[in-house]
Order: sequence, then C-alpha cells, then structure tokens
Amino acid sequence: MLIKYEFLKILRKKSTIIVMAVSLLLTAFLFGLPILQYQTYNQDGVIKGSEGIAYTKSQYQDISVPITDEYVEKTITEYQKLFENPDNVGYDGSEKFLIGDAYWNFVAPREKQLSIIASAYDSPGENSGFNKLPELDLANGANFYQARDEKVESLLNTPSRDLSTEQKEYWSNMSSKVETPLQYGYHEGWEIIMSSFELLMFALLAVCIVIAPVFSGEYQAGTDAVILSGKYGKTKLVTAKIISSILFGVLAFTLHVIVAFGLPLAAFGADGWNLPLQVAGLTIPYPFTFLQATLINLGVIYLVLLAMIGLTLLLSAKMKSPYLVLVVLVPVLFIPLFLTPSGATGAYNLTLFLLPYRSVMPEIGKYISYQIGGLVLDALSMRAILYAVLTAIMLPLAKLGFKKHQVA
Amino acid sequence: MQLQLKNLCKQYGTKCAVNHVNASLSPGVYGLLGANGAGKTTLMRMICGVLKPSSGSIRLNGKSIEELGERYYSHLGYMPQDFGFYPDFTAREFMLYMAAVKGLDTKTAKQRTEHLLHMVNLQDVANKKVKSYSGGMKQRLGIAQAELNHPSILILDEPTAGLDPKERVRFRNLISDFAKEKIVILSTHIVSDVSYIADYILMMKSGQFLLGEPMETVTDHIKGKVWEILIDNREVPKYSRNFSVVNLHHENNMVRLRIVSDTAPAADAVTVEPSLEDLFLYHFGEDAQSERSDDYVD
Repeated sequence: MLIKYEFLKILRKKSTIIVMAVSLLLTAFLFGLPILQYQTYNQDGVIKGSEGIAYTKSQYQDISVPITDEYVEKTITEYQKLFENPDNVGYDGSEKFLIGDAYWNFVAPREKQLSIIASAYDSPGENSGFNKLPELDLANGANFYQARDEKVESLLNTPSRDLSTEQKEYWSNMSSKVETPLQYGYHEGWEIIMSSFELLMFALLAVCIVIAPVFSGEYQAGTDAVILSGKYGKTKLVTAKIISSILFGVLAFTLHVIVAFGLPLAAFGADGWNLPLQVAGLTIPYPFTFLQATLINLGVIYLVLLAMIGLTLLLSAKMKSPYLVLVVLVPVLFIPLFLTPSGATGAYNLTLFLLPYRSVMPEIGKYISYQIGGLVLDALSMRAILYAVLTAIMLPLAKLGFKKHQVA
Repeated sequence: MQLQLKNLCKQYGTKCAVNHVNASLSPGVYGLLGANGAGKTTLMRMICGVLKPSSGSIRLNGKSIEELGERYYSHLGYMPQDFGFYPDFTAREFMLYMAAVKGLDTKTAKQRTEHLLHMVNLQDVANKKVKSYSGGMKQRLGIAQAELNHPSILILDEPTAGLDPKERVRFRNLISDFAKEKIVILSTHIVSDVSYIADYILMMKSGQFLLGEPMETVTDHIKGKVWEILIDNREVPKYSRNFSVVNLHHENNMVRLRIVSDTAPAADAVTVEPSLEDLFLYHFGEDAQSERSDDYVD
C-alpha cells in the first residue's frame, strides 16, 4: 500500500509529467536523427530516408556471406584486377582509387565490407582505407584471420597501452573465442544503437530529476515531521520510497529505451541482430553478436541507473531541497562529457571510463581493462561490479539518512 | 499511561532551545503556553521522536521511546505547526496514505478515513485536491490525520494559528472530542484556545517550564496582582509605559485599564479576578505584548 502511494506521489506531480515528456521527445529526436539524416548514393545521385535505407539493404543481398579466407582472397583479387585497368583508377594527388563503373559496380555495394577486410592488413593505429589492397601479396592466400590475430597481438603489445601480461592474456583469450569465419550482413540499425548509447544520459538525468524530491521534497514541504512520527515513518515508509523510486526509474528508463531502440530498429530493421560485432570493427575482442552486446551494455546501463537512483536518494535524504540535489548530480553526470580520454590505460583514463557518462558507452574496441591483483576485468564487468556495489552502498545510506533526519 | 520527560535538553550551538525540562504527564489536556521562541515546538518535536534530544530522555510507561520504536509511534498522533500536504493528493488519498504510514490495515484505514472526514466536516470535499483547500480546511485535515490511529498521545502544535474565530471555535470543539482518555499536548500562544479546553497549563519560557498547574489553580499565583482602574484618556500613554496593560476599554471620555502588576498602579485601582491571559502577560510581559499585535487574543 505504501509503495502504491509513494509511486502515486511521484507520478501525480506536474513536474514528473513535464520532465518525462521533454526527455522522451529529446530521446526520440536524438535517436530519430540518424533516420532523418540517412542518405546513400548511387550513380544517379543521393537517395534519402526510407528509400535510401531500402537501397542500402538491397546492396547487402550479395555480400551477406561468411567472410572466409577464400572469400577475402577472391574479393581482393577482383579489386586488384579492376585496379590493373588504368581507366578504372583515379588519382587525387595523394592516393589512387577506383572510379566510374568499377567503383559503382564493385566498391560501392561493399564499401563497409571492404573496409573491414582492408583493416586486417593495417598496422595498429593505421587506417589506410583500400590503399594497401592493390599491392597485397596473395601468393600464399589472404590469411585474413591470421592477419586479424596478428593485429590484435600488435595492439596488445603497443608500448603506449602498457598492458600487463595478465591483461594481454585476458584479451588474447577473449579474442580467440570470436567464431570464424565471420558472418557478414546488413546491421545498420544495430550499429546506430551501439554508437548512440550515451544519448540515454538524458533519460538517466530525467529519472534523477523526478526522484530528487523523494526525501528532500518532504523536508521542503514540511511533511517530514508528520510522516516520521508515523508508526512506519522510519521503517517501512523509507523502504517503500526507495522501492517506488527504483520502480519508477526502471519503468521510465525502459520507456526511453523502447523509444531509443525502437526508432532505429523500426526504420533500419532488426536485421543483423545475430551477426558478430567484428563485422563493424574487426579487432573488437568481445565474442558477442550485436544483440548480445546491446543487452549486456544495457544491463550495465541499468546498473548505472540504479546507482544514480541510489546517489539521488542519498543526496535527497541529506539535503534540504531537490534543487540542491540536482546541483550536485548534474555535474556528476555531465562533467565527464567534457573530459576526453588520452588512451585506455593510466589512472586518469581508467577512472574516466568508469564515470557514469563513459559507463553508458560500450567502448568495446578499446581493450579497457582493470587489474586487481591477478584478476583482470574488462570495462563492462568492472562497471557492472562497481555500480552494483555503489547501489548496494548508497541505498542503505539513503535509508539511514532519512531515518536519522532531524526535523529542525 | 505516563509520559515522562527527564532532564530533556536541546542545544543548537550555544543556544539552549529546551533546557532541562522535567515532567510527568498522565491523560488529560495540557495547554503548553509560551511566547514565540520559548521552545514549545522543539519540545514537541522531541516528544514526537522527530528531533533527537541533546540529553535527557522521554519515557512512556518507564520505557525509553528509542527502545519502544514503532510501538511508541503507534501511540502517537502529531499535528505539526504549518505542516505541508501533498497538493496533488485528494483529502481522502492523503488520509489513506497517512493511515498506511501509521500501519492501519486497509479496511480500518477506510473506515477511520470516512469517519474522521465526516467528523471534521470534509466529507463533501474529500475527493478534491488538497491544494484547493482553505487554511481552515487544511488544519481540519491535519487534526483528522493525527487522530487516524486512535493515538493515546496527541500532540498539536499551534493548531489554531491562522484560523478565523469561527474556525477556532470549531477546532477547539474537535480537540475536546478527540481528547478523551488521552495525553493531549496543545501548544499555542493564543491563550483563549487553551483556557476553554485544557486541564493543565504548562508555561514555557527560555526553554524551561515556568509553571505546571491544573487549570483551576493556575491563576492563583497572581491573585491580587491584577488591577482595574478608570482613568482619563490622556493618561493612557503614561500607564502603558509603566505597566503591563492587559486590556483597555473606552467608557464615555474615560478609559478602563486592566493592568498586571505586583503593586497597585494607582491609589484608586481595584484588584480583580485574574485570568489565564493575565497570567500569560504577567510572565511574558513585552514578548506577549508584541505578539498581541500579530495575533488576536480574546
């Protein structure tokens, strides 16, 4: 009964409705932007919106195949053959590239796939595009997966990464679990989702704004004295307030997630959910499909959400007004937005990757890991543990804060 | 049932809001009188367990309220001064919510809510949002919620503040109805509110109890110290400067003054029967005079 009323108290406020409406509209706008801005090209010019999406999808029909060594070899050979004809080659003063029909018939339909293939032969940190493909020696085959493995090893051994032996072993081990040959296919919707997770920060902030008055609003309104002197004022009521805040937070956030993911998936289709992440980034070490990675990162985000609810409630229990709560919360959530990591190691970067803003971004290709003694944890696991622990600490502290509140 | 306050103190920095208060309260209506800042609200908050004493203890039937926990709070009904409501709740929802906070089961909560809303004459507007209520209606809802759990200790902090005379009379009657077999502590600085319904008077000044007496004998202390005198209109400022003037009444071209003073203000002054208001003025003097300009004292 108390949970019902506490939930009603949150829902009934005009500010709740306004904040939720604004936040949902903003989320819809931000996640809808890639749909509105989507455009692709064919020989006749630009194709926008749903027509463009349909055209791109149709281009994938012939290239939705397993990327075997043979397939890579065949594709590169074909590229090299086209390159041998001077009529097909353009030059902009710095690099050569395929032009005309050679481009439109061969490169354009598989541009992303070619980039993935070409990236296997680049050194770590290098992005030569298709430049290396014409000269690539295929006498002993393409050895695509061997090249990938060697690139991952080079990445791990880059001195600037400063990874320990245990960390290198951890990542090598994880990367070796990626199933090969990689199945290629259309995955536009999932790629947009994977690259837009940080936009859910606004939803997170909206939840925090709405629940900021859960305790401090009682102090501000002067209702604290009457409820704290009730039989359950310091016991069941506090639990009910926490449960209803979590319930509201999770439901409201889920509504945002549905809008955020629903829009790109509705526009671009859910195709590609079962494709490996490596078709979007060859050296990604996580052996997950797009759906798995999305759900895992979403799980981490829900833990961040719970911890932020915990922090909001703790501040709310300790501060006299909801505005003061937000004065502390907003910087915690948004200052990291302006802090750029300088790498993936070092105390500064490792801390930055654990802050709420960075924690909602999957950053699955950066090999971010944390070592505690002999134990190595990747960023996703570390974030999950950290935010679960923070939630477990902050919620009881919030409870205690209200229980000990003095009406003065 | 006995509520004991033992050496109760509340210190804010160097200021002592409540200073070694001792009392043993059994069922009855206690009028807690004192000027603003006397420590009444602080004392009531401590009794309600929402403010921790700096030292001393509060015991119900010999057991400390910390030890009793929920068992103590289930005996308690509290109407704080100027306490807020949830503006988006209706009166009925607010009552049901408070019933849940007080641990009433759903059936009892509904019954008590309807009964009390009827008692405070809010049943016709029970489904209206509290934000549309007048001050008097909110006060009535405030006392109704305090009474939800049939408390045996009812604490009312300035329940009539801001009400018009008609509402105050209605409120006093309500308190009388609710007061049976309870310890009722009614704080106010409006003397007439307690003079009608209190069985005992507790007078508080600078965080301490100045006196605690049954209503019938409380004014005995100032017998022979309340005077009436008929003077010329032009002499009023002189008397106002030198004495505590309780009342001033124009009679033709003369003015009848009621004065509280240890000595006779004039040779022709006559002593009269003291009232609670005289007692209040006797003890609070200037403080009370200044409050009288803000509040109506009848």
